[in-house]
Amino acid sequence: MTVSVDPAAGHLEPEATATAPGAPIIQGRSLGQIAWRRLRRDKVAMAGGTFIAFLVVVSIIGPYFVQDPTVYHSSLIDPTFSRPIGPWGGISLAHPFGVEPITGRDMLARIVDGAPYSLLIGFLSTMLAVVIGVFFGIIAGYFGGWTDSVIARAMDVFLAFPLLVFAIALVGVIPNSAFGMSGNQLRVALLVFVIGFFAWPYMGRIIRGQVLSLREREFVDAARSIGARGPYILFRELLPNLVGPILVYATLLIPTNILFEAALDYLGVGLIPPTPSWGQMLSSAVSNGFYYIDPMFMIIPGLAIFITVMAFNLFGDGLRDAFDPRTR
Amino acid sequence: MTSMRRRKSLAISAGAAVAAVLLAACGGGATSSTGATSPTGGSTGGSTGGTTGNAVANAGVTGIANPSDHKGGTLTFASSSTPDSLDGGNEYYAWTLNFNRLYETPLLTYKSTTGGAGTQMVPGIATALGQVSPDGLTWTYHIKKGLKYEDGSAVTAGDVKYAVERTYDRGVLANGPSYFPQLLADPTYKGPYKDPNGDLTSITVPDPYTIQFHLVAPFPDFDYVVGAFGQTAPVPKAKDTGAKYELHPMSTGPYMFQSYQVNKQAVLVKNPNWTQNEDTEARQNVDKVILTLNVNADDIDNRLISGDLDVDSAGSGVQAAARAKVLGNPSLLRNSDNGFGNREWFIYLDSKVAPLTNVACRQAIEYAANKTDLQTAYGGPVAGGDIASTLLLPGMGGYSAFDLYNAKSQPTGDTTDAKKALTTCGQPNGFTTGLAYRSDRPKEVAGAQALQQALKAVGINVQLHGYPAGNYYGNFAGAPTFMHKNNIGIAFGGWAPDWPDGYGMMWALTSGNSIVPTGNANIGELNDPAVNKLFKDVANPKLTLDQRSAIYGQIDKLSMQQAVILPEVYAKVLIYRPPTLTNVYIDPAWGMYNYAVLGKSS
Repeated sequence: MTVSVDPAAGHLEPEATATAPGAPIIQGRSLGQIAWRRLRRDKVAMAGGTFIAFLVVVSIIGPYFVQDPTVYHSSLIDPTFSRPIGPWGGISLAHPFGVEPITGRDMLARIVDGAPYSLLIGFLSTMLAVVIGVFFGIIAGYFGGWTDSVIARAMDVFLAFPLLVFAIALVGVIPNSAFGMSGNQLRVALLVFVIGFFAWPYMGRIIRGQVLSLREREFVDAARSIGARGPYILFRELLPNLVGPILVYATLLIPTNILFEAALDYLGVGLIPPTPSWGQMLSSAVSNGFYYIDPMFMIIPGLAIFITVMAFNLFGDGLRDAFDPRTR
Repeated sequence: MTSMRRRKSLAISAGAAVAAVLLAACGGGATSSTGATSPTGGSTGGSTGGTTGNAVANAGVTGIANPSDHKGGTLTFASSSTPDSLDGGNEYYAWTLNFNRLYETPLLTYKSTTGGAGTQMVPGIATALGQVSPDGLTWTYHIKKGLKYEDGSAVTAGDVKYAVERTYDRGVLANGPSYFPQLLADPTYKGPYKDPNGDLTSITVPDPYTIQFHLVAPFPDFDYVVGAFGQTAPVPKAKDTGAKYELHPMSTGPYMFQSYQVNKQAVLVKNPNWTQNEDTEARQNVDKVILTLNVNADDIDNRLISGDLDVDSAGSGVQAAARAKVLGNPSLLRNSDNGFGNREWFIYLDSKVAPLTNVACRQAIEYAANKTDLQTAYGGPVAGGDIASTLLLPGMGGYSAFDLYNAKSQPTGDTTDAKKALTTCGQPNGFTTGLAYRSDRPKEVAGAQALQQALKAVGINVQLHGYPAGNYYGNFAGAPTFMHKNNIGIAFGGWAPDWPDGYGMMWALTSGNSIVPTGNANIGELNDPAVNKLFKDVANPKLTLDQRSAIYGQIDKLSMQQAVILPEVYAKVLIYRPPTLTNVYIDPAWGMYNYAVLGKSS
């Protein structure tokens, strides 16, 4: 990451000074290195980051260590109430998170097996939204005029789009296999597309606003005065200054997208059962009224989503502070 | 909970009209827990997994709970949604038809009594059941003399004819069933709004107290057509305001409208011109009836339990939260009823999708399904229902409790026989097929996965396809070409008959004439010559009720042998009634409390 003409990073922060008395040499550090050093000292952000890393590891290797999440344990269910026999949602040594109402499927296995889908859809759709949103946001903000008008109206159209209706229609016309994909692979791709493609205007608007103020700053004038042109200024001068907001809003968008996936699941546009997903579990807890008769069934996936969302938020906050301590 | 809406499907085809049996039937709400012997549910198969220690008191299932002649008080109803209409000519929900009897009276109506007799038709404003001509084509009804509307004007046969005429305009009154246009000889009539000078010539009024219906083909169940819905409740032409008539239908029942704010509240007060002598099936026990709309479903349950509310008008039973409260509390159980809900939940097996084209492959699915898991998916033995093995509901004429696929003897699935059937079918290692279900119905989501899991055990690999309930019958499961194209051989569904006999229950599900390109209810696509012939035979006007019932029993067995439907449960409802509610019983015709006779104790 280059920092040469950015005045904000140009002067030395206290942390950038080698403070150890015995250190003989003062080393120059990049903005990234400085941010990393600050981030490492932020215990809360590091906790969030660690949890995200843990989640990624669980997503990858976890499914090999848990039971089959599709196996029914009808004997663990009281059919009259459709809820697990025993307190706390049927928590036992064999089923440390309890079992699902109605089916008796192991909750731990379903949470662990659902993690990769939730994370994957959250990450990929956010990436899609960030790429499209940042690209159009920078262009709209920097060039202004009719370019800005066209892109801003396009954003309005996307924001006003009846997304749920579109999503329901989509599942009717897209067959079981398309674009060389089938089954859940196709569903994940569809979800990423639908969620990401319609979430970019949020990112786009924020970036546009940031660029509107950044483009009047001295370092942009300076770059322009030494002959830099559009693309260079956009992607070498403005973009690095946008890393903070991009990261912060991306980390906010990931959990939003995970929740949106849950909503689509409920409408039958989500993953195909019996593939578990956190959103599906949460929505079935609500729609079946299990929040009353088996609260654990809502609490466990709810906690999974809550902790994940919080981890992303804390980590995002820490990142922002690390990149731009003045916003603290 | 699922809606109590009667399924609507129209199937008018020339072929069907030529065949003696025309019609499209529909789902609605009418079973019966016949005979007073075991109305709580021949729980032979139902309670297999039951572990509940407390039993439901069922005073309103086995008889009448809190019988009382006490007069006075206010009866309060609440609905978590809105009615399809409060105009009898525009209603199809079971609960609105039930509620309708408080202020409108059709030619005939269901007998207000417990047990199997409650599914019989008895005179409403007519003097007797219909008299049918020897050729079966003309039905004659005489209307009681001296009947008055709420404003004192006289009820005449012309008003009944006009009431039927206005239902022909589907643009104004879109919700009701469409039996009249299909059965009567003048299907092109547009209705009095579009065609004010026209005349529905297939209904004649020889004198002010006689009305005759002229059919294109014999239809032995015609009494149900005039009595099971609100379409023959008289409407004075001068007072008709089209779609707005529901704001104040002219009352012929014990109560009349005082006010109705759409989507909010209707208030009914005593009708001074109603007399008990002329209307034996309804009561005028309270001073006022209030129906409040759009109330949160869990809030309705809480208010029922606290006594602030008398009836949840939908009649489909309490929500899961209240179910737990009621079943865990003996004092609440004393005021609860667990009766049949006039509906069967089942799974279609499409006989036109390979390899289910082979009956043995369909039978393998029937054997392998884990009926207990399916029952649990629908809510278990109390809120879900009894495990089913037939198409006819218990108590219907012709019902016998046969069990071809060991649903009751081996409720967790019969893998041995399933594997044998697979071998017969030529697929000893199983096969792959698709399964359609309504993804916004949690019970079907759970059921679909339960079936998938059970079939996996015998090597049948099922791919799930969830679709929105809104156009499930229109575009997906009810569209045979869609099923074929996507190789979907299994589809979840359910049926509540428009009236409680074998015709209302099975015609749309199993008659070859009922297969239509969209909105199809015969998703199994059974077009069996023997079944079709029996449906033709049963229309013979010379047959007695018992003879017709015997034929329905044969149709049931033949259809089950063809294995186009895998029965899941005979639906049951758990309803809570406040102790102050009097004359309460689950009406076998509606599968919910009979609203026409309720009262309040002081």
